[in-house]
Amino acid sequence: MAQGQILAGFLAPHPPHLVYGENPPQNEPRSEGGWEPLRWAYERARASLDALKPDVLLVHSPHWMTQLGHHFLGVRNLSGKSVDPIFPNLFRYTFDLTVDVELAEACCANAREAGLVAKMMRNPGFRVDYGTITTLHLIRPQWDIPVVGISANNSPYYLNTKEGLHEMDVLGRATRKAIEDTGRRAVLLASNTLSHWHFHEEPAIPEDMSQEHPARYDGYKWDMRMIDLMRRGRTREVFQLLPQFIEEAFAEVKSGAFTWMFSAMGYPEIPGELHGYGTVIGTGNAVMEWNLVKAGLVRDARAAVSA
Amino acid sequence: MSIVAAFLVPGSPLPMLRPDNLPWGRIAAGLQRAARALAAARPDVLLVYSTQWLAVLDELWLTRPECAGVHVDENWYEFGDLPYRVRVDTELAHACVAATRRIGVQSKGVDYDGFPIDSGTIVAQHFLDAEARVPIVAAANNLYHSPEQTEQLGALAAQLAHEQGKRAAVIGIGGLSGSILRDEIDIRADRIARTEDDQWNRRVLDLIERADVAGLRAVLPQFRAEARADMGFKHFSWLLGALGGRFYGARTHAYGPVYGSGAAVVEFTL
Repeated sequence: MAQGQILAGFLAPHPPHLVYGENPPQNEPRSEGGWEPLRWAYERARASLDALKPDVLLVHSPHWMTQLGHHFLGVRNLSGKSVDPIFPNLFRYTFDLTVDVELAEACCANAREAGLVAKMMRNPGFRVDYGTITTLHLIRPQWDIPVVGISANNSPYYLNTKEGLHEMDVLGRATRKAIEDTGRRAVLLASNTLSHWHFHEEPAIPEDMSQEHPARYDGYKWDMRMIDLMRRGRTREVFQLLPQFIEEAFAEVKSGAFTWMFSAMGYPEIPGELHGYGTVIGTGNAVMEWNLVKAGLVRDARAAVSA
Repeated sequence: MSIVAAFLVPGSPLPMLRPDNLPWGRIAAGLQRAARALAAARPDVLLVYSTQWLAVLDELWLTRPECAGVHVDENWYEFGDLPYRVRVDTELAHACVAATRRIGVQSKGVDYDGFPIDSGTIVAQHFLDAEARVPIVAAANNLYHSPEQTEQLGALAAQLAHEQGKRAAVIGIGGLSGSILRDEIDIRADRIARTEDDQWNRRVLDLIERADVAGLRAVLPQFRAEARADMGFKHFSWLLGALGGRFYGARTHAYGPVYGSGAAVVEFTL
């Protein structure tokens, strides 16, 4: 078996509004559209993912928040209707996903070996969180690639940002080793927004884009500062600034997905490709890609890399 | 006011999933005693606030006449499923949605098939009224609402129940201290995570039992900060608002740990 490898990582935020705006058949509510620049950003990300042809998508979601360690979906098939507890008017989505249980088990075992509390979720009636489902739909609406779903342990909030993100760094390295050992060609998805200041009341028409803008100017400026660094490949600076960004922009990357993904990729100092940026109820959302194949950090004959 | 009973109950699913485990079984037994007291009060409606039903945009109220299904807790799925059935007093719930503008809060009703009822509401329903004989009005915990706003919401719900001529029981669903045990444990040896938390929990319960509302208001900010009180102890704010800030005593039916955090079943004397 060839050694597995990580082909790319995507910053892939999960506002259910984007699914609502798209009107896919799986989602009950109907909209008049909305949030087009972000949805078009995901169209570009979808094309790039399609060219990579990964074996598996791994997604770390802040909306499966666990108290006791880091959890992995461990049931081969999970299906049902996911109703967003916060935006039930926008997201009532019928899903059917296939889990790469072997890889999930390897991730879990490696995480335990690295000293983390880690568990496999084996209950077939489990309701997959809307963050996982939204990110997966937005990046791959065909649902034809197996997934590994990873919970967000609450350590960055329960302990502190530094200790919590250290756990995510350990989790990332454990994930990378599992991918390598199982021979998978994997794409990582960090399901996080950037600045997370948001409005507190919903417009009468949720997709009325005349109501959409950054909730706070300082949050927007932080987002642009971080995106600029990411686009220039200055990963070390991004992570030096991350605690301050989290503190001052209330950034959702605190929940750990972004750190987990970069740790798994080895914190590459390569330019991230910005597919698009936009706000959703005032929060800052960037769809970005770090393609390790294009950057020459991974040799992969099977990936049809677009020029 | 037409509040005929009031209870604080924990929302952790562990006493429901594993009542055979002695520390959690004690909480379950306390909930059963509370259920008998609730039945004796013969309420027409239960005014329910669970810290685990989270909202961030607007205040949400359950407006679906009946919700039933099987829930799997996102943390404790290994211990089994949580079957549930709740009936909603939609007349009162819609009145609440319409009225919160009076206190500067925008509200929405939630009437969707498959809406995920939170574990806390399910646990309280299971123990206090398993047959769903009494309809509920359930309000979400908007993360951005202060204890004071939550108290206003509780007061408003109670006032509207009174205006509709209903005998209401108020239920605040949530925990005490919020520190948890972060490693896998022998569940038979569950304990409050920190000695200081245990002291805080006992101090707050003592103040509640003595109906020292002024004393409670004075110490709660410190309790919230030092004992990581579950969601700012806003379930107590809801209850206090519904009671108009007054009660005459309380009885603690059970107190103990649920994976390190503090849990108590408290019946208020009205």
